[in-house]
Amino acid sequence: MHGRSREISAPLAVYGKRGNVELIVAINEAAERLGLSTGLALAQARAMHPALQAVVEDAVADATLLENIADWCLRYTPLVAVDAPDGLTLDITGCAHLYGGEDALAADLAARLEQAGVAYSIAIAGTIGAAWAASHFIKPARYVCGDERGLLAPLPLAALRLAPEIVSSLARVGLKRIGDIADLPRAPLTARFGADLVRQLDRALGREHEPLNPRLPVAPYVVEQRFAEPIAREDDVLRTIARLAARLQFALERRGDGARRLELTLFRTDGEVRRIAVGCSRPLRDPAQIRALFVERLAALADALDPGFGFDMARLSVLVAESCPPEQIGIDGSEDVAEVDRLVDRLSARLGARRVRRLIAQDSHIPEIAAAAVPTQAALAATADNGWPAYRHDAAAAELAPRPLRLLTRPEPIEALAEVPDGPPLRFRWRRALHEVITAEGPERIESAWWSEHGGPARDYFRVEDKSGLRFWLFRAGLYRNLAQGAAAPTWFLHGTFA
Amino acid sequence: MLEQLRQQLRSLEKPAGIGDGPGVLPFGIAAIDETLGGGLMRGALHEIAAASEAHLAAATGFALRLAARMHARLVWLVEDMALAESGAPYGPGLDAFGLAPERLLTVNVAHVRDLLWAMEEVLRCRAVGAVIGEVRGSTVGTVALRRLSLAAAESGALALLLRASPADEASTAATRWVVGAAPHDCLTAQLVRNRRGPAGSWILQWSDSDERFILAHAQPVAAPALDRPYRQIARQVA
Repeated sequence: MHGRSREISAPLAVYGKRGNVELIVAINEAAERLGLSTGLALAQARAMHPALQAVVEDAVADATLLENIADWCLRYTPLVAVDAPDGLTLDITGCAHLYGGEDALAADLAARLEQAGVAYSIAIAGTIGAAWAASHFIKPARYVCGDERGLLAPLPLAALRLAPEIVSSLARVGLKRIGDIADLPRAPLTARFGADLVRQLDRALGREHEPLNPRLPVAPYVVEQRFAEPIAREDDVLRTIARLAARLQFALERRGDGARRLELTLFRTDGEVRRIAVGCSRPLRDPAQIRALFVERLAALADALDPGFGFDMARLSVLVAESCPPEQIGIDGSEDVAEVDRLVDRLSARLGARRVRRLIAQDSHIPEIAAAAVPTQAALAATADNGWPAYRHDAAAAELAPRPLRLLTRPEPIEALAEVPDGPPLRFRWRRALHEVITAEGPERIESAWWSEHGGPARDYFRVEDKSGLRFWLFRAGLYRNLAQGAAAPTWFLHGTFA
Repeated sequence: MLEQLRQQLRSLEKPAGIGDGPGVLPFGIAAIDETLGGGLMRGALHEIAAASEAHLAAATGFALRLAARMHARLVWLVEDMALAESGAPYGPGLDAFGLAPERLLTVNVAHVRDLLWAMEEVLRCRAVGAVIGEVRGSTVGTVALRRLSLAAAESGALALLLRASPADEASTAATRWVVGAAPHDCLTAQLVRNRRGPAGSWILQWSDSDERFILAHAQPVAAPALDRPYRQIARQVA
């Protein structure tokens, strides 16, 4: 596939800066009829046709468009690689028969691209290199299979995707076509022009395998369904999910796997592709439960599932699979654990996985790092160890002063007045309210991360109670006695509240 | 047929929170238990409001102490705004508080609407013993409160609605408390609404050795009035 332009009657050119020159990078048909071509300097083109409309290129939008088309091509095969800036490579091995053969698949693709207003050039060949060469250098592109050599021989060497320097140095010794070098001794070629040349030749001719880098990871399990009549209602989508999940269950059971992450891909008739993913905290293969997760996910979508003129294809893929032993029932509370997991899945699907969290302890003496809230789904997968037994062991050994029930996300600065320089505050002002301290416990010295540049000064923590019984966790960052050595003045912070 | 419908209607009409509950959680303080008719009812919605926003930590502590009594999983739902304003539940603090952080699942939501949905969803899970939903000033709505009461009654779990400040909206909650901090590590617990008996007010202190609340030495001057006639009626209904 190649190029993009829309049918606009006025001549239009898109230009971009290459080096120090503004060159035309794309033109429409009307501009083509004027005799313009890509690669021409913009100034020159304007001199030839003062009425020429020219707009600057938008590389980001181009890349997004190409990615959208790539996603949409997932309807043909899961192996779609982006060949920037304007190409896509599809591995249709074993997929073409679904469309009634390679020619029919290419015709279907062409018809849909035509409808979307995308200029294209399609070629099918046995190797990536040959297909690239045919799509870029043969017009109109042919569908060739099997005879890569015959196809490539008359083409210029640039069709091998070589660096321009190599092409020009080959041209200097009179080698211009692929046929010229196909049978030359390899060692001198490599010695003179680098290993790249021979490798590209081998890849194009199929003597060496060329790996394809799919844009999206290929799912281990995929089931899909095409609709003769596009579906639009959410009910129908959910029914389709249930049906696909039932087929998935069969495949998963056969290999003893369960799904940890699922993705639903909906292909709209007009080429839009919608991808919706859900996660589960334990391997899942029950169709009813899979459907239930998608019910929550669809309900939570910020923008409603816009079907446009309907979806003509749906695909359910398992992105992450994990081995899932047959259910064990009745072992100490495992049923309870499963219940909680299901709850976590439902909440995560609706609210987002990062909103459903559990608390873990981390090996640090710095209060805000000592404990963390992590997404439950991820935590269950990573490790059963939550750090609390170790924390309790350490806390008992170190005889830690009490910790607050609620910790502020970041310590808030307060204005505090202390009686003695390094003692507890007498009164302080937090969020515009003045608190008179009646009792104070402390200080508990917590050293900063002295090994880190951003560690900050040591903190002295105090637990204070004010006149009305409110209990706070305050700290002073820095010491007054360091003031003489040129340290910054200590500042007070409020870090948490006690029950 | 008609009789069936009548029966159905009667069961629907039954006020949520009153009736054949799955038992009570006694405080272990005679005065409070008598007022509550045995203790805090399980399978019901209870509202706990902080006396003012500054007292939220005390109210949080009260709610957690009650929820911890259920000896099962605990879910704490909280709005994003509240997390930023009042701080997040802190594991080491909970642990020192006597509540193992492993038992707690926290869910933060962007909007109170999501919170109510999630709270109902949690109540539907049999493995959860108590759920705390923390809302800031916003009104919850009578319908939502009623839904929560019904969901709690169905599940037998303890549903606690933690408010950052006292609300004046009508509610089907079984009890409504206003909790504030008091000097010397005590807290004031005002029972302002009680569907099964009179109101009351106590100053409580946590006893680590007994693992329950005890009455602090200083008590409010006015003792709760226990001879209210409607208490008998409530008992009969129960």
